[in-house]
Amino acid sequence: MSALLDWLARPENAKPLGLVILFTTFCLIVLWVYGSRRRGERLERYKHIPFLDEAEDVKDAEDGRATR
Amino acid sequence: MIKFKHESLETNTGLLLVATMLAISVAGMVEIAPLFLIKDTVEDVPGVRPYTPLEQLGRDIYIREGCYTCHSQMIRPFRDEQLRYGHYSLAAESKYDHPFQWGSKRTGPDLARVGGKYSNEWHVQHLIAPRSVVPESVMPNYPWLMENRLDYADIGARMRALRAVGVPYSLNQAEYERNVKQFGAEMAAQLHIPNARESLIAQVKANNYDGDPSFVSEMDALVAYLQVLGTMVDFSKIKPEELVKYR
Amino acid sequence: MATITATSPSLAASPSLAVPQYDYDIIKKFAVMSIVWAVVGMGAGVFIAAQLAWPVLNFDIPYLTFGRFRPVHTSAVIFGFGGSALFATSYYVVQRTCQTRLFAPGLATFTFWGWQAVIVLAALSYVLGYSQGREYAEMEWPIDLLILAVWVAYMAVYIGTLMNRKQPHIYVANWFYLSFILATALLHVFNNLAMPVGLFSMKSYSLFAGAQDAMTQWWYGHNAVGFFLTAAFLGMMYYFVPKQAGRPIYSYRLSIVHFWALSFMYMWVGTHHLHWTAIPDWTSTLGATFSIMLLLPSWGGMINGIMTLSGAWDKLRTDPVMRFMIVALSFYGMSTFEGPLMSLKDVNALSHYTDWTVGHVHSGALGWVAMISFGSLYHMIPRLWNTQLYSERLVNVHFWVATIGVLLYITAMWISGISQGLMWRAFDEYGNLQYSFVESVAAMHPFYVMRTIGGAFFLSGMLIMAYNITMTIRQGVRAARAPGAALAVA
Repeated sequence: MSALLDWLARPENAKPLGLVILFTTFCLIVLWVYGSRRRGERLERYKHIPFLDEAEDVKDAEDGRATR
Repeated sequence: MIKFKHESLETNTGLLLVATMLAISVAGMVEIAPLFLIKDTVEDVPGVRPYTPLEQLGRDIYIREGCYTCHSQMIRPFRDEQLRYGHYSLAAESKYDHPFQWGSKRTGPDLARVGGKYSNEWHVQHLIAPRSVVPESVMPNYPWLMENRLDYADIGARMRALRAVGVPYSLNQAEYERNVKQFGAEMAAQLHIPNARESLIAQVKANNYDGDPSFVSEMDALVAYLQVLGTMVDFSKIKPEELVKYR
Repeated sequence: MATITATSPSLAASPSLAVPQYDYDIIKKFAVMSIVWAVVGMGAGVFIAAQLAWPVLNFDIPYLTFGRFRPVHTSAVIFGFGGSALFATSYYVVQRTCQTRLFAPGLATFTFWGWQAVIVLAALSYVLGYSQGREYAEMEWPIDLLILAVWVAYMAVYIGTLMNRKQPHIYVANWFYLSFILATALLHVFNNLAMPVGLFSMKSYSLFAGAQDAMTQWWYGHNAVGFFLTAAFLGMMYYFVPKQAGRPIYSYRLSIVHFWALSFMYMWVGTHHLHWTAIPDWTSTLGATFSIMLLLPSWGGMINGIMTLSGAWDKLRTDPVMRFMIVALSFYGMSTFEGPLMSLKDVNALSHYTDWTVGHVHSGALGWVAMISFGSLYHMIPRLWNTQLYSERLVNVHFWVATIGVLLYITAMWISGISQGLMWRAFDEYGNLQYSFVESVAAMHPFYVMRTIGGAFFLSGMLIMAYNITMTIRQGVRAARAPGAALAVA
């Protein structure tokens, strides 16, 4: 365990490791978000929320419906 | 495996809160916490000592007037800065600075090693009317420093507060003796909180920073502070290359 | 009046008329105060800019010197103007996207009076000489405690409203506001840990010293920019740009990536304010690396905002409010490109301690923060008072005056900053320093004058806005009092 920690404590090891981990995470997130068309469509639906805010506002509600 | 949906975050305030908190906390834990745990952050350099009561009050005036908005106290390791200001600053040199005053802007020059560069008379004249000694200066005049009596009624309370955050001012015999060992008998006496007022007045009498012996002015304190800046470490005795590894 | 009839049918038809759909009182208060603080803070800014050009303007009066007045400027614009605009818009956005009224309106009222007291007390304490000596966190400990109380109340109101929502989903704007509220609480608490000299003394000493204090302060300092001045205003952007454009945000998926990447990465970059200083090398390298990576989410957000307008670019020509928003986003893109550039150690060696930093801050603060707030306030205020803008032409004038002001300001600071950096490091043929420090001070004079003029332009724009908004509100109030309007509502 301590050997592992010693290895990690050296910047020349920790730096590239950190970079790899972060970059992989980033790629995974981007892949996850953009990977599936179905998921994409589902996620994009929520962008209309700001147009649902007037209880009976005809104009805004239509905006929301029209683009939905 | 549990199927992750981003909607779980979008529809649950608690989850969104926790996840956001996680995202913003990692950096502090990885980047800042170690600085408090690793001993090497601040190297041990002989000569660095807490400010005397008078110097500390001068420093408080420096902060009150917002000097840090135009003056830095952090010399970087470049040739031009070394020529202009002196040896680059070491972390140890500000280890008793609560708060640090490294600054972020040089509308005026760096002050990290201004101590001893000019005479007391020059500082007094320059603070009262900067353009009388440096015609192109854009610094405000500080004539009131000369007129205001230095308020040192609460110097004991100030030193006790500083002691509570880690500055080795002494309250009892044991702490005083520890300071004698570390800073020498003369300095240890000045760092002793019960003596604070006497040593403050003694320092003013001995140096008469503002040229007016009739009373202790704010100018006395501020000049005393400016004159000690950067003078604690003797770079003729310390090998900078041994310190470089800490940078 | 035409404006009233345009919206009143829907209101008249609304079944819940006894209680209006949303709680606007608190928002109105904050919106008005944000304009008041903008005028005060920008006025203070022009004043201290003039002091640097003509030091005689310090008048030898302690309360008016640059050193004491500069925090008045920063606090009034960041916390007074920016803070009030954020309170106003966040209360507006959270209600409208959650389709519910504010949780605990009493607490919300407390956030208003508490926050205004904070700004007034802070400004008074600075001119009287009470300062922690930490940039952007100069407030002494009693004010810090008041801020904490206000912030806890704010958090309760905001989260409470989120939990009461009728809309199952929490819209992306709210994520940004939420992370701003959380991060600000975290930063405020840790950066202001201090030991007061006494229970009845304003003076305190920071818990940390030297290098550790510097790290804490710039972790705070940069994230005040990152969360207070960026994340929160992105929340504003994610609601008001789509609303003003009348079309949904370009990509919701991009906003997901934008949000998480920004929240995660911003916190790392504070150390780029401490390059080449006495902190360990690795922290500074880490800060620079993350600063570069931050370009990705930042530009993601900018693209998301600007592309919202794709297919409706003509709005840029016809709608001055939209123009404010899009130019704000462009400045956001520019300063988030400049920032990573300046965080490179070699560039920083030149730019640090110079006016370049000041220019960079202002391209973000004036170009991005102020302009997106102007756009949002111009959108929101007529809706709060159920009327229309008094004059769109004046909005247009404001836009141009403000844009010229920003450009003058940042050009002056680029030139003076880079020349300072070059003059300081110039050597003559014998290897001596070519210029004394004061020669660099003297050389800056024309640019300090130019900066003052730029600031004055921006301030005049602000005054035009204040006039326009005053007239708008009067018009709304008058219409509401008119017998016809009362009938329509009754």
